[in-house]
Formats: sequence, C-alpha cells, structure tokens
Amino acid sequence: MTDSEAMLRRQAQWQKDRRSLSWPEKIRMAEQVRESAERLRDRPGPARTLPPSGPARRPYLATGRCPEF
Amino acid sequence: MQQSGVIRDYALFGATAQMRYTEPVATLDAGVLVAVKSGNRLDPLREIYDFCAVRGYRAAGEAIQVGAWPAQFIPAFNPLTVEAMEEAVPADFDGVPLRVVRADHLAVIALSVGRAKDWARILALLESGSVSRTAIAELAARHGLADAWHRFENRFLND
Repeated sequence: MTDSEAMLRRQAQWQKDRRSLSWPEKIRMAEQVRESAERLRDRPGPARTLPPSGPARRPYLATGRCPEF
Repeated sequence: MQQSGVIRDYALFGATAQMRYTEPVATLDAGVLVAVKSGNRLDPLREIYDFCAVRGYRAAGEAIQVGAWPAQFIPAFNPLTVEAMEEAVPADFDGVPLRVVRADHLAVIALSVGRAKDWARILALLESGSVSRTAIAELAARHGLADAWHRFENRFLND
C-alpha cells in the first residue's frame, strides 16, 4: 500500500468513526460546518478578469465580420 | 406547538434526522414534517409562523430561525411522508424529547426525491447498517417506488 492509499484509508476510517458520536455531537459538528460555509459564502469573491474589449483586441467589432474559427 | 393544538404531529427528517444514523453531514437547515390542523387551507403553515412569531422566533426565508438552525416546516404531503411522521421514533437531544423519522423512511423519502444528495443519503444509511436493502425494497414497493429502487440498485449497488 502506498503512503497516499494508507492516508486515504486512515481518513475514511476517521470519518466512519464519527458515526459513533452521539446525535447531539454530530449535530453540533454539522452546525460548525454550516457556520464555516456561511462565512465563506459571505466573503467577497476574487475580482473578475473581463476579456479585453475594443477594436484593437477584437477587430471583428470594427469590421462587423465574425472571426472564422 | 403540539400541546397548543397548532400541529397534530411532527417528526424531524432530512439531514438532521439522517445524522442520528450516519456520520455527520453538511446541511443548511433542519427539516420538520408536520401535520397541521388546517391542512386544507391555502396557507397551511400560517398558524405555525404565527405561533413562533409571538414567541420571538423570526422567519428566515422559507424557515423559522430556532437557535442556531433555520427550521423548515413541511406539511406531510403524501402517504409516504404521513407514514414516516406517524411511525417516527422518540429520540433525546440533550434532554429534549424529539420524534425522528426512521432510517428506512428516510431512505425511501430520499429515493422518491431523487437528487444527487438523496442518492448519497441512501448510500450513507446503508453503509451505517441502520437500514437494509430488503427493508428499503419492501417499503419502496408499498409506496409505488419499486421501479425507482431497482434503478437505484442497478446504478449504485449491483456490480
């Protein structure tokens, strides 16, 4: 077994072991995940890079002809 | 709410109920199946919202915020969900008694809904050993979902 396989197996076992937690403990764990997800969702995303515009970069705008692909 | 007569019956279902049987899963809200007294009205949840509002629980979108969780109340809408609610089992949440839908009903409700996360729910319930393929097959057949179960088995369980 490679190191990666062993690590994945340990991770899967760790996840399965959480099944034995009490129901309230599992709910609290899900609560933490939900709060983290909400914080991530509320964060502003990365600035979007728009494609270049204008006739210099898109000559078909000036010619009115579609580029051939 | 039950003692006040706003609802006749209730049971926790969805992901929060699933976690009683499986490992924890990510979810945004707590689903509650309810049988409301005014089930035939156009706005069957109005009395629940009013009941909660006077006690300081505010509406949050389609849900009502109860502590850390948005609780989404869903009237039991077909024979399967009515049976799931009526045959729910008592559970204890930090000393608070609650009724929770059984694992076999959770699996068959998921089968009837059929989104990707519902397939994952069925697989998680099976893997946890809280429900058997036979139990799901029987319950699915009783609710007209035998074909759906065969398709699920062929897709995910049969080699």
